[in-house]
Amino acid sequence: MDMHRPAEIILTILFFGLIAGSYLAAQTPPPPVFEQPLLVTSAGQSSGDAQIALQLAKRAALAATLSKTGTGKDLENQKTLVLVLGASMKGLGSAGLDTNKEKERIRELVAEAKKKNIPILAMHLGGGQRRGELTDEIINEFLPAAKMAIILKSGNQDGLFTKICKAKDIPLIEVDKSLDAVEPLKKIFKR
Amino acid sequence: MREADAIHPGPALTAARSLSDYFPSLKGTPGDTPVYVYAGATEGGNVLIIGGTHPNEPAGFVTSVMLIENIRAVRGKIVIVPQANASGFTHSDPQEGSPQRFPIATAAGQRWFRLGSRVTNPIHQWPDPTIYVNPTGQTLAGIEARNLNRAYPGKAGGNLTEKVAFGIMELIKKERIDLGIDLHESAPEYPVINAIVFHENSADLAATAQMELQAEGFEFRLEASPPNLRGLSHREWGDVAGIRAILMETPNASHGRLKGKPSVELIIDGKDKFYEKAARLGRLFVPFGPDGIPLKNRVARHLAGLKAVLSGLKELDPGKAVEVEDLPPADRVRVEGIGAFLR
Ligand SMILES: [Zn+2]
Repeated sequence: MDMHRPAEIILTILFFGLIAGSYLAAQTPPPPVFEQPLLVTSAGQSSGDAQIALQLAKRAALAATLSKTGTGKDLENQKTLVLVLGASMKGLGSAGLDTNKEKERIRELVAEAKKKNIPILAMHLGGGQRRGELTDEIINEFLPAAKMAIILKSGNQDGLFTKICKAKDIPLIEVDKSLDAVEPLKKIFKR
Repeated sequence: MREADAIHPGPALTAARSLSDYFPSLKGTPGDTPVYVYAGATEGGNVLIIGGTHPNEPAGFVTSVMLIENIRAVRGKIVIVPQANASGFTHSDPQEGSPQRFPIATAAGQRWFRLGSRVTNPIHQWPDPTIYVNPTGQTLAGIEARNLNRAYPGKAGGNLTEKVAFGIMELIKKERIDLGIDLHESAPEYPVINAIVFHENSADLAATAQMELQAEGFEFRLEASPPNLRGLSHREWGDVAGIRAILMETPNASHGRLKGKPSVELIIDGKDKFYEKAARLGRLFVPFGPDGIPLKNRVARHLAGLKAVLSGLKELDPGKAVEVEDLPPADRVRVEGIGAFLR
């Protein structure tokens, strides 16, 4: 039950197809590509995972707002959209949404972000237990819209994130533990 | 008369009270229950920790007793109710064949802990209605009339269980509690397990604690308290009392439906071949191997969870920080056992 892990933090940063030739070593920190402030929303109403993303952003000293059911209008004055991928049936129920309505909301949000030239950072923070049919549908549909992705390694055991990010030239940062995402967040956002 | 469970508070105890001190109409009833207060020298926040809401979930009760027998508050105040549904500890669930108590070896000799029922003793509250309408107006199955975790915010003139819930709400008010933590266990086949359930006012706290726990090797699910599920501590403490509210669940095979023979060993060692098989078939929400999930690991999980929640509170709301010393460390409890931290 209690998953013992080595105390040392192993942080693996992988980039796929980042502007060709710019980064030779896999460990090279990415340049700051995102700007503040950022709007965080769950794609799939996993409110706990979205809250983790918000707290990570705060620890990275980023100006972030969490919006449970945000739409394109909420992108006013925002410079980055953070989509926390992961479906929760309970969360959808609590928000009074069904799967289709939630996907519609995210589609509109993504379209509006594109229109406003607001880049998307995708995150998946629920690990293996936050994978499943519905979450995978959301990953398959919305991960390709991201400019970069930060995920918990335990959620990528089947390589779904690796596959999509490789195909779409999206830099993928995998971390062992959520807190390990703070440093990469600091680096990829402009101060 | 039934002998009360032996609890030996440590020297740092500030006050020993009863729930009836906060709600006098519980006095002399089977719903009255001990309350232990630990106040630090420095002002800070006030935290309520509740065990034994469900007396068939031993990790919450045992964790509370370990706190009572060890901690020292440095800053702020901790109030502990180890047997929230005292009546539930006086009987066991019918037709389950559960042991009535289980032993823990300590340096001072063997200690016994009661295993009770999920609900209030029918001798103390009878009969159950066909349909129970709880204090929030939600309708539930009749037996839930005796479930403390459906009875919040309680009712001063209600049934015994509702009076206990009301007493806890009174305690929250009078002790000016800022954060309430309700310690539970759930069956391995139940999805809300190894979980922190949080009122939406505590989402930041739950997420902060979850990240710290993950960094320490404890995986916890984050579960938002559904706003339409009423009468539960993590809902009504937040909605009605306006305090931060968190509930934690550890995995307990001894009250699950898939278990084999109920026994003292199943409670303490947490091994069960049917749960092992269910895990192999992918039917559980926690890993379950031949080593089972022993009580000491479940208690360690609660202790790690409490530590992480207190440190999260300090980070997010420094004015409400509560600092304690001598909280039994989770890693040592897993190695040395529960008894090493009992008097
Ligand atoms: Zn329970």
